Formats: sequence, C-alpha cells, structure tokens
Amino acid sequence: MSTASAAIDLSGVTKTFGSLTAVDRLDLTIPRGALYGFIGPNGAGKTTAIRMIMSILLPDSGELRVLGHASALEAKDRIGYLPEERGLYRKMKVAPYLTFIARLKGAPERGLRDRVYAAIERIGLKGVEGKRCEELSKGMSQKIQILAATIHEPDLLILDEPFSGLDPVSTRLLKDLILTEHRRGATVLFSTHVMPQAEELCDHVVMIHRGRKMLDDPVSSILRPHDSRALTFELLDPKADVRAVAALPEIAHCVRVESRYEAALRDGVDAARAMQAVLAAVPVARIELKRRSLEDVFVAIVAGAEGERAPAAGDKAAA
Amino acid sequence: MNKVWQIAGREFVATVFTKGFMIGLLIVPVLGALLALVVPRLFGDRSPTVEGEIAVVDPTGAVLPHVRDAIASRGSPVAVTEIVERARAGGADEMVLDVLGATTRLTLVERPGSADVEQEKGWLNEPTPAAPHLALVVVHANAVEPAPGTSNLGSYDLYVPSRQDNRVEVAVQGVMRDAIIEARVDARDLNREEVTRIMTVPRVRSTTVGADGERDTVFGVNIIIPAAFMGLLIMGVMFAGQGMLTTTVEEKSNRVMEVLLSAVSPMQLMGGKLLGHMGISLLAMSLYLGLGLVALASFSLFGLLDLKLIAYLLIFYLIAFFTIGSLMMAVGSAVNDMREAQQLMMPLMFTMMVPWILWWPIVQNPSSTLALVVSFVPPVNSFGMLLRVASSTPPPAWQVWLSIGLGVVGVFGALWVAAKVFRVGILMFGKPPDLRTLIRWLRAA
Repeated sequence: MSTASAAIDLSGVTKTFGSLTAVDRLDLTIPRGALYGFIGPNGAGKTTAIRMIMSILLPDSGELRVLGHASALEAKDRIGYLPEERGLYRKMKVAPYLTFIARLKGAPERGLRDRVYAAIERIGLKGVEGKRCEELSKGMSQKIQILAATIHEPDLLILDEPFSGLDPVSTRLLKDLILTEHRRGATVLFSTHVMPQAEELCDHVVMIHRGRKMLDDPVSSILRPHDSRALTFELLDPKADVRAVAALPEIAHCVRVESRYEAALRDGVDAARAMQAVLAAVPVARIELKRRSLEDVFVAIVAGAEGERAPAAGDKAAA
Repeated sequence: MNKVWQIAGREFVATVFTKGFMIGLLIVPVLGALLALVVPRLFGDRSPTVEGEIAVVDPTGAVLPHVRDAIASRGSPVAVTEIVERARAGGADEMVLDVLGATTRLTLVERPGSADVEQEKGWLNEPTPAAPHLALVVVHANAVEPAPGTSNLGSYDLYVPSRQDNRVEVAVQGVMRDAIIEARVDARDLNREEVTRIMTVPRVRSTTVGADGERDTVFGVNIIIPAAFMGLLIMGVMFAGQGMLTTTVEEKSNRVMEVLLSAVSPMQLMGGKLLGHMGISLLAMSLYLGLGLVALASFSLFGLLDLKLIAYLLIFYLIAFFTIGSLMMAVGSAVNDMREAQQLMMPLMFTMMVPWILWWPIVQNPSSTLALVVSFVPPVNSFGMLLRVASSTPPPAWQVWLSIGLGVVGVFGALWVAAKVFRVGILMFGKPPDLRTLIRWLRAA
C-alpha cells in the first residue's frame, strides 16, 4: 500500500517519559477509509500513540504523517477526536457547547445551528439543547462528547476507549455511529481493550504491548479457523447426554467450556464427517469448527510477552 | 487566529454573563461605599467621659479661681462653641482632641497654697475613694509673675496615679494652660478679648493656579490619584489572573482540556484565554474608571485628572497583565485543583503585595532610590512607574520609556516560561510539580 495515500503513517515513532518508554519504534500505516482497532492491555501505550498522532504530544524520534500532513495540527479541522479522559464545560449549555466545538473545528457557519440540533436529535437527546452540561446523566454526557467529535464530519475519526462506561444501549448507538461515519467515508481508528467490540467492528487490528507493535493484521486473517481438528457446539437440550458425543469413533475427547462443548477430532478424521456424526448423536443448536477469538490472540500475545519479557518489535502473534 | 478569538470569545461570555461576575464587579464599589459610610461612624463613637477629682496646690493664689472657671466652662455647652471657634482659628488638632478624646467631668479639690506636696501625693493612691483621684497639680510660685530679678515664668508640676487614662492628662493640661494664661492676663491688667484677637490668625485655603485657570486646591489629590490608579491596575491584573487560573484548573479537572487540544494548539488555547480574560478585566476596569470620572465630573473636579494617565494605565496594565497573568495561567495548568494552586501561587502573591507595601513611600517621595528601583524591576515596575507618573513629581520621560521597555522584555520572558509550562502541564495529572520538575518542563517543552 502506498503510504502517500495513508490517513495515518507512523514510522519508528518513539516517546519516553523519564525512564519509561511509552511507545517504542512504532510503525503503523492506516489507509484512508479503513476502520482500525487499536488494542492492547492497559498501559500498553495506546493513548500516548494516539496523542502523538493528534500532535498533543510530540514524539522523541520517528516520522509521522496525518492526512498527508507532517503534523495533525495542520489538519485538525479534518480530524474528530474523542480522548480517553474526556469532559465538558459543566456550566455551558449543550447546543452552545457543540456549536463552540464545531466552530473550533472549522465547521461552516451557515446552517450550523440546525446541524447541531439535528445531530442532537439523531442521538436521541432532543430537548437537552438548552440544558447545562452538568445537568446531563453520565450516558447523555458521553453521547454529547461523541457528538462533539463528529459534529464537523471529519475525514479521520480517532476514538480513545470510546465504549468505556457506556450501557448496552449507548454502546449499540456508538457502534452504529462509528459504522455510519465509516460508511460516510471517514477513516476510523479506535482504541479498546474490549476485544469483542474490536472483533465486531474492525477491518483491521493493531495491537501494542509495552509500547511495541505485536500485531498488525486484518481481522479476517486473525480470526480464520486455525484449528480444524476441533469442533465447538451448543446443545439444543441442555439435559441431553453429551457422553454420546465422547463415545463417537471420530471424537478423541469432549469437554465443556462455559455453555459450549469442544470436541477434539481423532487423527485422520474428516471434519465434515465428524460434524454429521455429532449432529446424529445429540440435538445441537449450533455447531462449527473451533475458531480462535481476538481475545484468545490478545491473551496469547500478552502471556507470551510476559514469558519472554522482551519480544521483538513487529512480531506477529504465534497462536 | 480565528480559533484564538473563538476561545477568547467563549472565555469572555462564560465569565461576563454570570451572576458571579456581576457580584464580583459590584462588590468593590459596594464595599467602598460601606467603608465610607461605616468607618466615620465608628470613629465618631465618642469615648466614655473621664470623671474624677483633681487636686490643685496654688501658692500664688491667682491661678485657682481660673482653674475653677476653666473646669466649669469645659462641662458647659459653651465649650463646644469655643472648640468650633478655635478650629476656625487654626486649632483643629486641639479641637479633634477635645471632641474625640478629652470629654471630661472634673471636680476641683482646692488645697492650701502651703500644703505639703509629698503628703498630697499620697492622696492620689488612696484606697477606694468616693470619686477617682485623677491628678495633683502644684502651680509654680512664678507661674503668674516672674521671680524678682528674673524674666522667666514658671508653669506647674503634674502628678498622676499609675494606670492613668491618657485623656486625663490632656484634659488637665488644657485646663491648666487656660487658667494660667487667664491669671497672667489679669495680673497685667490686659484685655483678654484683645489678646485673643491678636493671637488669632485664621488658616486659609490655597488656590491652585494652572494653565487652564484657577481652582480651589483639593487637599490630598496628589495621594488619592496615584493610589486610585494603582488600585485599578492591581484590581485589573488580579481579576484577569484569578480568572485564568480558575478556568485553567477547571478545564483540567473537567477533562475538557484534551478535547480543546484536539481542535487547537496549546499556544492557541493559551492565547485565546489570555485575550478573553484581558477583555474581561478591561471591561471591569473601564466600568470603575468610568465611575471615577463621573464622580470627578459631578464634583467639578474633572480638571484634576491628567488624561494622559489613562493611557499610561492601559500601557502598564498590558505589561503587568501579560507578565503576571500568563504566569498565573501557567500555575493553573500545572496543578490539579485550587488547593495545589495556592502553594504555587505564593511567589506571585508576594509580588502582588509589593505595590501595596511600597505605594505610600513611593507617593511620598517619587524620586527616592526605592521608587527608582521599584519602577525598573519587572514584574512590579508597572505598579511603581504608574505611581510615579501619577504623583506630584512625575519622572522624566526617558525613565518612563525605559520602564516600559523593561516591562516588555519581562512580558516576553514570562510568556516564554508560561508557554513551556502550559504546554506540558495541561496534560499532566497527579502529583503537582516541584521547582525541579518545572525546570525540567522548561527544558523539555
């Protein structure tokens, strides 16, 4: 991919705070129009990397380009940003606050008021326009903060832990909003340590741990079935006798994992044939080849890194 | 630049259109009016009457009758008229003493002229007397007529008990002075009224002659105007500085800072806040200055004010504002809450106290070495030079321009430090920085 057309292009970016290296020689290229997840455990360096992308922090070394500019400062009006530590002017009213932020982001003055009111209505908060921000509930505040990041229809949307503290309804609303922005053509990068969300939304995932990039792959390639020697299934009738499965000649052993069962195939057994045998043995609600989840990858990388203590930059996950 | 004005506009609107601002704006004139109304009443509260006996030993026999008269007259309403007359004649100091402190009700105890003074002294400390024994007066033998062969006149000895109220002494001395003068006038067969007329020269009020004409001199104007201008300057700087400190701390603690930084650079944010709060304090200063000018005009005293002073006020305000205000904002960016801010604010608060401490000696002697030093050392030079410019002895123009030049250098220095601290501090949470950390920020940013 040509980095000239990239929305974000980081090359060897490093940031230290005293003796701590928060981001270590990070290379990252995010093409325009992509939906990227930035994952990693707490303290991995995600927020520092994002702050450098936003030019809120300056890197100690390395090259950085955002929307074709050498600094995000030159393209701030085309970037929407939701920081991890976010807040509102408590005494300001909602509509004036959003108008103020939109103006700071260079939104055109014509029709701005109408756009602000329409956006508030779109997120289901019609009627709060004249309320002070301090009067809003936590969920409402978060929605307004997200709206503030998107009110100027940015080309690049960067969301740092956008789902933290949201209830399921608000989470769904935010997911829809992210997908809407993506469909509009915006490049979206969001950080999270909630793997199912990244798995559900992203085209591509970048994982960093201790400031170093550990994974940079499309979600589809990460989640492709990696173990065709095992089946995972859920019983239609929870009281059904699963020992019938364990007794099948195709199955080596069968164990329960939470509400599911995992059955390992014997050597040389065809997976499709084994699946048919299981279906014949017990009533099954759902059956598939065992897939690894992003969470599995995440845990494996973190555990591996903890074991090795010094993983090489750019290493891929060895699942 | 548009973003800087957006930030400035928000700061201005968010501060000015609040009840707090209106209350803050009104509280200064209201407090001033209260002080003007209440304090004179507090001073006007008369002291309790001094009541008791004074014993007089008069070997001359000529003074005692006049002591009797003087004591009697001091307890009568006529005494008030006399006090007013004396004030008109220039004895205002004595009048103030009489009115404020020496209200007495004395009873005369006449002792024989040959009384034993040592024995009489015992009377002063007699236990539980019916009325307090306030003083023993022994008139000198030559108090009325000089001793043969001499020309000197004597006076009297005054003895008082321990823990005496000072007002007693003032009252007794007044009585004895009047009585001895009356005795001397009688002894020489002079006309008392004629003597009083001869001794009376009324105090006159001066007329100020200026290029624009003549007017009655307003006493104290050379003190009041410098003090008023310095007060305006301090108020303006503190008004803006406090506002910037508070809003910066608030934006940090509300976590709205990073949202702003996604739209503007730290320098745009700082510039916008500076401009916004400058507008706020200029508005407040304009209101107070306008009120002052209206007050001067209403008393036909507008001519007392050199309008160039307003231009100097603006120049020195800008210098002081950008120096002290930017540093206060830097303090706000470096801390997490107002309690932490107070610790870092101490050096700045001491700086702001310097003009308060030194304004009087500077106004009294605007050309002194102290005044000279204060008017050239940033960040207090703005206050010092404004006092001197507004004083009765303005400094030469080169000194004013040198002070302005040094002030501008100070402004750039303060803005440089503030910008560095602000850039790092606004995203720092947790332990507030110590001096070493601040220096590291200055080097790193």
